[in-house]
Amino acid sequence: MERRAVRPRENWQRVAAEHGFTFHTPDGERYWDESHAYRFTLREIEDGLEDPVEELEQMCFEVVERAVADEEVLCRLAIPEMFWGYIAESWRNRERNLYGRMDFCYDGQGPAKLYEYNADTPTALYESAIFQWVWLEQAMEQGLIPEGSDQFNSLHERLIDAFGRLGVEGPLHLACARDTDEDLGTVEYLEDCARQAGLATQRMFIEDIGLADDGSFTDLDDAPVRWLFKLYPWEWLMEEEFGSRIPRSGTRFIEPGWKAVLSNKGLLALLWEMFEGHPNLLPTYFEDDPGAAALGGRYVRKPLLSREGANIVFVANGRTVMGPDGPYGAEGFVRQAYAPLPTFDGRRPMCGVWLVASEPAGMCVREDEGAVTTDDACFVPHFILD
Amino acid sequence: MKRSGKIALVMMGTSALTLTACEEPKTDAAIFETVEQCVAEQGLTSDQCYGEFDAAKAQHAEVAPKYASRADCEADFGAEGCEVSPYRTNAGGSVFMPLMAGFMMGQMMGGRAYTQPLYRSRDDSKSFRTADNRTVGNKIGRTQVAERAAARPAQKLYTQQRGGFGARARATGFGGGG
Repeated sequence: MERRAVRPRENWQRVAAEHGFTFHTPDGERYWDESHAYRFTLREIEDGLEDPVEELEQMCFEVVERAVADEEVLCRLAIPEMFWGYIAESWRNRERNLYGRMDFCYDGQGPAKLYEYNADTPTALYESAIFQWVWLEQAMEQGLIPEGSDQFNSLHERLIDAFGRLGVEGPLHLACARDTDEDLGTVEYLEDCARQAGLATQRMFIEDIGLADDGSFTDLDDAPVRWLFKLYPWEWLMEEEFGSRIPRSGTRFIEPGWKAVLSNKGLLALLWEMFEGHPNLLPTYFEDDPGAAALGGRYVRKPLLSREGANIVFVANGRTVMGPDGPYGAEGFVRQAYAPLPTFDGRRPMCGVWLVASEPAGMCVREDEGAVTTDDACFVPHFILD
Repeated sequence: MKRSGKIALVMMGTSALTLTACEEPKTDAAIFETVEQCVAEQGLTSDQCYGEFDAAKAQHAEVAPKYASRADCEADFGAEGCEVSPYRTNAGGSVFMPLMAGFMMGQMMGGRAYTQPLYRSRDDSKSFRTADNRTVGNKIGRTQVAERAAARPAQKLYTQQRGGFGARARATGFGGGG
């Protein structure tokens, strides 16, 4: 794994416009950054990331299996009791999932360490699947990177295939919150994939969902929402006004309810409890677990439901370094062993490995200056070359 | 190879725009206000006409738009243009819907139009429109309609309330993706 300077394509902004990539420079801050790229060997990808992700996903399934059979676990994850039965049922009915992203500490040398799993509402999907792919092809064509390079990125093909196998009958509604360019870009891209899979689609905002007299959710035309892809966290849906109506709404959710077990930092403590010592796991404990003392004075404190690095705190020998402010923490915390991101030319890349229908499907590298990868991180393309 | 073999977008970006600029495909259909008009149409039997009319009528209450008051319904469908639907509001009040003004059929004449009820709105009372509010013209008898308009209409429920999701996004100013 190395960080290489690469000349940016001269017309990349125009290429972005042509491909509908509208959020590459949000609020004037650079997000897409092709002034360099990460090169990996095929072994670093396949042995270092792809195989571990496949194995970790199976371990995650064991955690879900345990959670749905043990209310104590759902309680520790701060999942509202009203949804315990619903989540268990979504798992027993084998409701299919679409996608997720596991974030790793990885430098190409030692084993990749799982920081967390965004199994519910990951973004950075479009730029991973499409714009990064276009960059690779054009960068090779223009001689900016060597011919014969490859990329860990079969996202587009796999997403279309997965949409076709979800079993959707009738229209698929896709929703995110209003006024969120990045989330909207992700939903627009997924809608494009769903259409290519032959599905009828209807996009809407989560705020516009209605509740009908028979308990169904409706769209703005009062049509029932039977299949809903929602880029909106399960833990928010569950606690909001219509949340209690979800179990009897007749709506099939994508991601399914059981993903709430995985998209929770408590997962990392449960994984460590069940697979202690696994090379791809960091020691992690629920904060009230006496075992957390094993971490000593250096650890990272993460709210169970944090996103984009919010409310994460580094503790080292009594000193603390805070991540960005945010609304999380009331639900509880885990403590994870301190494992700093590797440094390349003073920048800290985090490897996010995508899963589509629970299979490894691609990667994104996001770089930040600080220890926490936040919403301000840059997306840097990668290529594979031995 | 560890990457997709090809990439195509059908909706996003400028390549997608050129695709949607094409003319909308049409299909054969027939439109009638009454069963009698249908029976009088050459090539259609009385049995066929009653069968199609009944099929359209049976969908009417399910697919017609729903209103909490007669006044709201009449604002869209004109005075005397509405009736009470089988739906009820939370408080037990009546829910209103427009009167069925005709029906469309298609498969009898080899077209793809889905048999369904038609309506007339107040602001465009000469034209028929589907329950999904797509206009299908004003011609009685055999005609051609856009395939999109001839699709099976969606069920319309009576929405009691909206806005029960999204509070956390509003409160945090953050959409929830990550």
